[in-house]
Amino acid sequence: MLLDTYLPIAIYIVIALAIPVIAFWLNDLFRPTKHTALKGETYECGEAPIGEAQVQFHFQYYMYAIIFVVFDVIAVFLLIWALNFDAFASVSSKIIMLAFFALMLVGAFYALRKEDKIWI
Amino acid sequence: MYLDLWNLVGGLIHWLMVDVIGEILNWLHLYGLADWLGSSGVLHILTIIVVGLIILVVGMLVSITLIWQDRKMLGRFMDRVGTQVGPFGLFQNFADALKVLVKEYIIPDAADRLIYPLAPILIIGLSMAMFVTIPYSQGFYMSNSDLSVILTLAILAVVPFAVLMGGWASNNKYTLIGGMRAAAQTCAYEVPLLLSVASVVVLTGSMNFMDIVAFQYENTWLVIPLIIGFIVFLVSIIAEVERVPFDLPEAEAELVEGWQTEYGGMRFGLIMMSQYARSFVGASLIVLLFFGGWHGPFADYIPAGIWFVVKVFLVFILFVWAWAAFPRIRTDQILDLCWKRLLPLAAINLFIAVFFKTMGWF
Repeated sequence: MLLDTYLPIAIYIVIALAIPVIAFWLNDLFRPTKHTALKGETYECGEAPIGEAQVQFHFQYYMYAIIFVVFDVIAVFLLIWALNFDAFASVSSKIIMLAFFALMLVGAFYALRKEDKIWI
Repeated sequence: MYLDLWNLVGGLIHWLMVDVIGEILNWLHLYGLADWLGSSGVLHILTIIVVGLIILVVGMLVSITLIWQDRKMLGRFMDRVGTQVGPFGLFQNFADALKVLVKEYIIPDAADRLIYPLAPILIIGLSMAMFVTIPYSQGFYMSNSDLSVILTLAILAVVPFAVLMGGWASNNKYTLIGGMRAAAQTCAYEVPLLLSVASVVVLTGSMNFMDIVAFQYENTWLVIPLIIGFIVFLVSIIAEVERVPFDLPEAEAELVEGWQTEYGGMRFGLIMMSQYARSFVGASLIVLLFFGGWHGPFADYIPAGIWFVVKVFLVFILFVWAWAAFPRIRTDQILDLCWKRLLPLAAINLFIAVFFKTMGWF
């Protein structure tokens, strides 16, 4: 049963991942190769590139990233809860999850508002 | 009226392997080989492979048509005629494909030798892999799993990671900034997207596209009760497929070509195409979740698959319209928009869905 459903998906994903490999191999048969030193240079609008690009990048949205890590988990819980919504006999199981979600929302908005400058 | 793809291909494979090749092998006295080729396991695997190739080709053809629609409609929006090669400009994409096929493959000297070639394979392969869950009609599908919705969203969420890999491995300042912006964008749109899907799941009680579409056929299109959820989903999915106004990772006015600056030739062409493949998946998600899937009037004359593709094209008009109408927004603006506007709207939408379900209206 499980194999019946997921074997096509597994085979299809292998086919899909093979498509770019085959396309690049076909490209190898048709394209020219005339490598020069200038072609291998990193593109920087015609200027000679200055310094490395793989630096310790300063990403300025870390506050959002932290809230995202928490909220993504909530979203997964909510999806599971939503899938079983019909099966809940009692009202309380519906209310508890919504109350939990509302608490998380309040927390997220407090966090977003509390930071004076959220964009560092 | 619909085409039962699995039965059709299964019958064809059975005829080919047993009645044609099996007979020839029997005539050559290769009975063991004939039996093996005619066994049910081999037939099953071959059927899966052929159906997969058909789904892949159909998905790519629809994606290519979306490129044509995008170019033609954007041209009209900008008071141009759009593409001109062939009848109605239909051959432009094939001319482009031929052009990128003969382009040189240049690896920058500074690039990472392992990850730089790997990233486009991941991006293109995963974009093509998303076709696996999309059903065109009751019979024309690759997989009919109970977790189709979540699988599609999962594969959609992996692509920005590959974008970040490619941007980092190219070792170019523009690509690095583009990749980081893709990561920021993921942080922004993912939660509203999942919450609006959760509201659909609350009403339909299933994550199987077949059940969701059947529910909408019996009741009403979900865009009517969940209009707020539809708007949230539309905005999030446009951000997901990186189209204007949310194309920050490849903002060509600031970042040359964004994270794909260092990718040329075939890689550039296929990455471009894979973006439209993701647009197709996004538009078909909207059709399946909110616009009743493949059901439409005149079901006796017009096949269900045709209705589905027509609806996808109609939804894609919204994408092109957004491209033509809105300017690009900044990274902090998209984070603000998604966290302070879309998230409350998605929460309200979820409460509405729970209210409707509890009242027993759906």
